[in-house]
Amino acid sequence: MWHNLAVGIGAAMTLANLASLTFGTLVGIVVGILPGIGPMVGMVVLLPFTFSLAPDVALSMLLGVFCGGYFGGAVPAILMRTPGVPSSLVTSFDGFPLTQRGEAQTALSAALLGSFGGGIISVVILVFLAPLLAHVAASFGSPEYFAAALFGVTLVVMANRDMLMQGILLLGLGLWFSTVGIDGATLSPRFCFGTLFMQNGLHIVPVCLGLFGVGQTLLLVESRILLTEKMNLARNTLDFSRLLVAAKYWKTLIRSGIIGTFVGLLPGTGSILASFMSYEAAKRASKHPEDFGRGTPEGCLASEAGNNAVPAGAMIPLLTLGIPGEALSAVLLGVFTINGIYPGPLLLVKQPVLINTLYFSIFLINIIAFLMLALWLRPFAMIVRVSPRVLAVNIMLISVVSIYAVNTRLFDAAVAVFMGVLGYILLRLKWPIVNLVMGVVLGEMLENRLRESLSIGDGNPLIFFTRPISLALIVLTLLVVVVPLYRDRRNGRGQIAGKRA
Amino acid sequence: MTTAPEKNSRVHDLLAAVLGGMAALLLATSPWNVDTEGPDPFYKGPLIFPLIVLSMMTLAAIPAWVRLLRPPQDSTWHLDGRGLPVKTAVVLGLLIAALMGLVVIGLEASCAGFLVVALYYLGRRGWVQLVVMPVVVTLLIVVVFKYLLGIFFPTPLIMDWMGG
Repeated sequence: MWHNLAVGIGAAMTLANLASLTFGTLVGIVVGILPGIGPMVGMVVLLPFTFSLAPDVALSMLLGVFCGGYFGGAVPAILMRTPGVPSSLVTSFDGFPLTQRGEAQTALSAALLGSFGGGIISVVILVFLAPLLAHVAASFGSPEYFAAALFGVTLVVMANRDMLMQGILLLGLGLWFSTVGIDGATLSPRFCFGTLFMQNGLHIVPVCLGLFGVGQTLLLVESRILLTEKMNLARNTLDFSRLLVAAKYWKTLIRSGIIGTFVGLLPGTGSILASFMSYEAAKRASKHPEDFGRGTPEGCLASEAGNNAVPAGAMIPLLTLGIPGEALSAVLLGVFTINGIYPGPLLLVKQPVLINTLYFSIFLINIIAFLMLALWLRPFAMIVRVSPRVLAVNIMLISVVSIYAVNTRLFDAAVAVFMGVLGYILLRLKWPIVNLVMGVVLGEMLENRLRESLSIGDGNPLIFFTRPISLALIVLTLLVVVVPLYRDRRNGRGQIAGKRA
Repeated sequence: MTTAPEKNSRVHDLLAAVLGGMAALLLATSPWNVDTEGPDPFYKGPLIFPLIVLSMMTLAAIPAWVRLLRPPQDSTWHLDGRGLPVKTAVVLGLLIAALMGLVVIGLEASCAGFLVVALYYLGRRGWVQLVVMPVVVTLLIVVVFKYLLGIFFPTPLIMDWMGG
């Protein structure tokens, strides 16, 4: 174990990996600071560039964007009450009042310390929890994998249950996209409509790049210019003396980091819930709960520690079961599979060096992101002054050129543009687009496991009910569907859920 | 967060019905769209999963179809008050033209042309944004893709045409 850890640290410290994760973190902070863009756009735009990189280097770059985005999101939330990423909304509850009182440096110090601490705590939990979960998952067969994936997908769908039917439709659409092309098991063409291009299938890269790189930026074309005149920072760097004020809340930091990691572990929950739960827990435990919402550094610290613990938390089911919890980790899963690496319990045994490299890379990313933001706080904050429309046209151009460059095929770029239009419509209607991404990424795995399970059971679907783990997971899945719907109906919210399709 | 009027817009039902209709059509035609020749029994074959998925989509769209045919009294087509996305449609058209341009006039001309026209259309007038930025971004794209990543872009068709 120690040998693998040492080799992993060595691999993470190579020049290529350090450059890659530093670049990824830089991109992540920038896209996190820019409202309306976010780490997902950063990740998908960089995705085609990772094809020429080694898997660990590619993943480190994308993890940098993932974590860096959450670090950056707090800056506009505190200075302008405009969260760069949705989960930073909670940070603005206390961050902006502090800014109004002239204590922006205190708020930013608390947010950065929270992000850093939450990130580090979650890595430590990841290192210890992942092998335990992998040990349990080692006894999984196809029915258990199918049931676990079904459970994960159901959690994601039910997380957006106010748009339940839309969520099911999008999940179905994503799953159908995954079936287009040559079927791996029988080599039969499916839904190719007589064309040769479609036989390659709808690859995750043009789909995600289109949905986010093009779709999100098309939406940005319509956005208004942010009012940034009042945004001001007294100095270029973070006021490090303010870190001591924030460090007083070390108990809140640890609690929030733990909450964020476990929320991130559950599919469908996401960073917004992690922020809210950490914030509420801090408020309940505080001696001065009345200060929350009026401007207390403890609120900023709790919220940021919670949301920045999510990336490492989300890596736990991803690495051990191959089940991503949300769109960002779904893209990471795509990178694994593109490189011929299939996450699951055996990954920790077969690729210990890669896993340890990733662990240490996340650790380094948190340090680098903290230092970058602390040392260049004002230059980063000023990024919000760039016009969103100017950014939008540049990002969409880079997106289509990069997808064309992968195979120099116009078809791939056309798929990205089509997905961009679809993404624009879905984002404007505020449909849960994460379901579509989950469908595309998990489709192949779900289908293969279903067919393997049915083969084991000679075509009898009761196979899922005769094995204890899969039965337990199916029961859990049913509970995840029935209990919230029953509660909603009892609370009167069921009418809203039932109205919309 | 979606507001109540946005959520009650019939546009949601229209999109759900379109997706559900597409799924129903694919479901009905799937035996012709999936090559099922082979010795495998049905449950091992390539058709079972698409059938499950498309059935799920079709069923999920039924409430939307019903509401489209019998709209509730308070429902409207109003979505978010932002109007028709004319600017977005024009920029999308320019993007598609730029994509075609990659093959016809080449990477450099296509990228620079798209940026100049799109930025001008979106109200940018300064020379920095209309001249310097397109040139710098195009240079960056060329350096990264052609030289750093070593990607070969096919010779633009216009070169072939000009060359006879």
